[in-house]
Amino acid sequence: MQTVWPLFVYLAAAAAVPAGMIMVSFVLGARHSDRATGEPYESGIVSTGSARLRFPIHFYLVAMFFVIFDLEAVFLFAWAVAVRELGWAGFAEALVFIGVLVAALAYLWRLGALDWGPKPFARLSHSRHKDS
Amino acid sequence: MQEFVHFLQHDVLARISPPLGALPDQIVLLGAILVGAAPIVAFMAVIAMAWTYGERRIAGFIQARYGPNRVGPEGVLQPLADGIKLLAKEDIAPAGADRPLYELAPLLVFVGALLPFVALPFSEKWVISSMAAGVFYVLAFEAIEVIGIIMAGWAPNSKWSLYGGMRLAAQMVAYEIPMGLCLLTVVALAGTLNLGQICQMQGGAFGVGNWMVWPWVSPFATLAFFMFFVGGLAATKRAPFDLPEAESELVAGFHTEYSGIRFAFFFMAEYAAMYVVCAVATVCFLGGWHGPFREWLAPAAGAPTISDLLGKAVQVKTADGAWFVWANLWGALSVLGKWAFWKPMLYELLGAFYLIAKSFFLLFVMVWMRWTLPRIRIDQVIYMCLKVLLPFSLLCVLGAAAQTVFTDWNLLHWLLSAGK
Amino acid sequence: MLANTFTFYVAGLVAVAATALAITGRNAVHALLYFNVSLLATALVFFTFGAPFIAALEVIIYAGAILVLFLFVMMMLNLGSQASEREREWVRPRVWIGPGILAAILLAQLAFALAHGAGQGAGQASIAPKQIALALFGPYVVGVELASMLLLAGLIGAFHLGRREAPASKSLEKGDA
Repeated sequence: MQTVWPLFVYLAAAAAVPAGMIMVSFVLGARHSDRATGEPYESGIVSTGSARLRFPIHFYLVAMFFVIFDLEAVFLFAWAVAVRELGWAGFAEALVFIGVLVAALAYLWRLGALDWGPKPFARLSHSRHKDS
Repeated sequence: MQEFVHFLQHDVLARISPPLGALPDQIVLLGAILVGAAPIVAFMAVIAMAWTYGERRIAGFIQARYGPNRVGPEGVLQPLADGIKLLAKEDIAPAGADRPLYELAPLLVFVGALLPFVALPFSEKWVISSMAAGVFYVLAFEAIEVIGIIMAGWAPNSKWSLYGGMRLAAQMVAYEIPMGLCLLTVVALAGTLNLGQICQMQGGAFGVGNWMVWPWVSPFATLAFFMFFVGGLAATKRAPFDLPEAESELVAGFHTEYSGIRFAFFFMAEYAAMYVVCAVATVCFLGGWHGPFREWLAPAAGAPTISDLLGKAVQVKTADGAWFVWANLWGALSVLGKWAFWKPMLYELLGAFYLIAKSFFLLFVMVWMRWTLPRIRIDQVIYMCLKVLLPFSLLCVLGAAAQTVFTDWNLLHWLLSAGK
Repeated sequence: MLANTFTFYVAGLVAVAATALAITGRNAVHALLYFNVSLLATALVFFTFGAPFIAALEVIIYAGAILVLFLFVMMMLNLGSQASEREREWVRPRVWIGPGILAAILLAQLAFALAHGAGQGAGQASIAPKQIALALFGPYVVGVELASMLLLAGLIGAFHLGRREAPASKSLEKGDA
């Protein structure tokens, strides 16, 4: 039977240490409030606007690729534990599984989806210009 | 852990006083873990402090200058002074910050960095919980840290923090895949997810012959080790992958706005994460606790264990009066004079020494790289991950699996079974 | 055994409370973090049921990967105070009453099923990762291969949805954050 208690108690102990340190810091630490105390640090320049910025699409793509390859890795994790028991049949199954995803990776690679730079997806837009 | 609880209940508490032995499992376990967790949390703090000092001294050595050398002999007390200073600093939050998230984020990162130690062995028997899916858990706990870093980047409402946090989160999640696949190479060879079992099978000749990293064990694991280490550099934002906190462009990345003790949490979490990466690499590729001369101390089959000896020593015949606690203590101390106690103890200690020494060597390489290689650009970071590490780690997994199946494959057996 | 049952109920309560807070929260980032707590609690529930592999999977896939994706999207969409204002306008009885009734029907069904003894208690025998592997790549291998097709579609779909159509937003074209 799996028991979660070691994990639980360890978690509590791990959380108690920083909590204690914060309390000590609360007692020892200075407190002051000047005109610029609450300003975000922007290398000495007065901050303008909010930092709730929009972000380039690359981050979404990286996160999306991560989710998908993570799922793939999970299936492979399950397979890797029992490679020996599953034998060549399991190997062939995993080969097909990986093959499908490698095909997708190759496709994205060719389109330039894996590039990250000033001109993303350059190859895609290039081929489009040629078409039109 | 279950064994340990059993030992405490039947061999220690019950022998000291029968009512103590009748305490429920959970209470004993609670005490046991609190006693066990304290050294590990302390160990992490020591690692962080030792390496803030070590890193600066090594940097000084590489750059032909002195590192910190004033506080204490050769400056060894510098991290202590830094710790006291950080405790006494003001804890500032920017006015526009999302206060609850801002205050929670460093704790989440810190606790997330501490969690992998649950499944990480220090020596053959010294592990908090020997989990069946240990490799998987270490990877899962890293995921929790990412959430904390995104929170830390977003909450203070500062642009540098946000840029640094997003870069780091993207980098960490991207490199988690090749790192996982490199560990998978080892899992495919070992056939188990339990870190202790993976380590156990790497003994071999002279304690070094069977390490996964050697090409004669598996060339794929050799390649996987180097890729895992590169991935580990990126996941812990070490140079040359340290652009999430590139000083020249982003000030300090996601912890720009943090001061005092909350900054210290990020700092300690970074060193803890570095140690975890190095220790996992050591356990999975470099033979973990195996090393030369350790086999000489291996306890013979049926030899009394440390628990047995301690249990016998604390047993007293006449249980009454105040002297009896002292009698127990005396019994426990008398064990210290016996070679039968020291032999298994040294066996474990030598194992822990090998594991930690190898991890520290890898940590040294990480520091060495920081002062040797220039920082790379973000497109190169993503290139490295998606176009180099990902395809090659997939290749490693397939190769290792093929090797495992091939060595197990008995052609005759297969033909016979096919003929039926 | 008792400890496992206790953990199960605590984790279950945390999951339900965190989910409720995630649904009712107006600040999208806070709601996501409550959602994350709910997922972690669910992982704990799996753990008490003797499924450590699935518990770790829940943390890696849902709490780690999918939540990171959600957080990225939230931040890319620049949801500020005006968004939570808009959220306040959107969440009206007219909007949630339909799904609420449907969910209530499901809940009633669930309660009915539980009352008639369809459920099982916590603390089953633990399932080893190897057993899962043998099942997945044995009788359920077609499902695994189909999953790879699904992931393929997801990968290509994500790229084509996320790609920039025309050089419309030149200011953002500078790429790196």
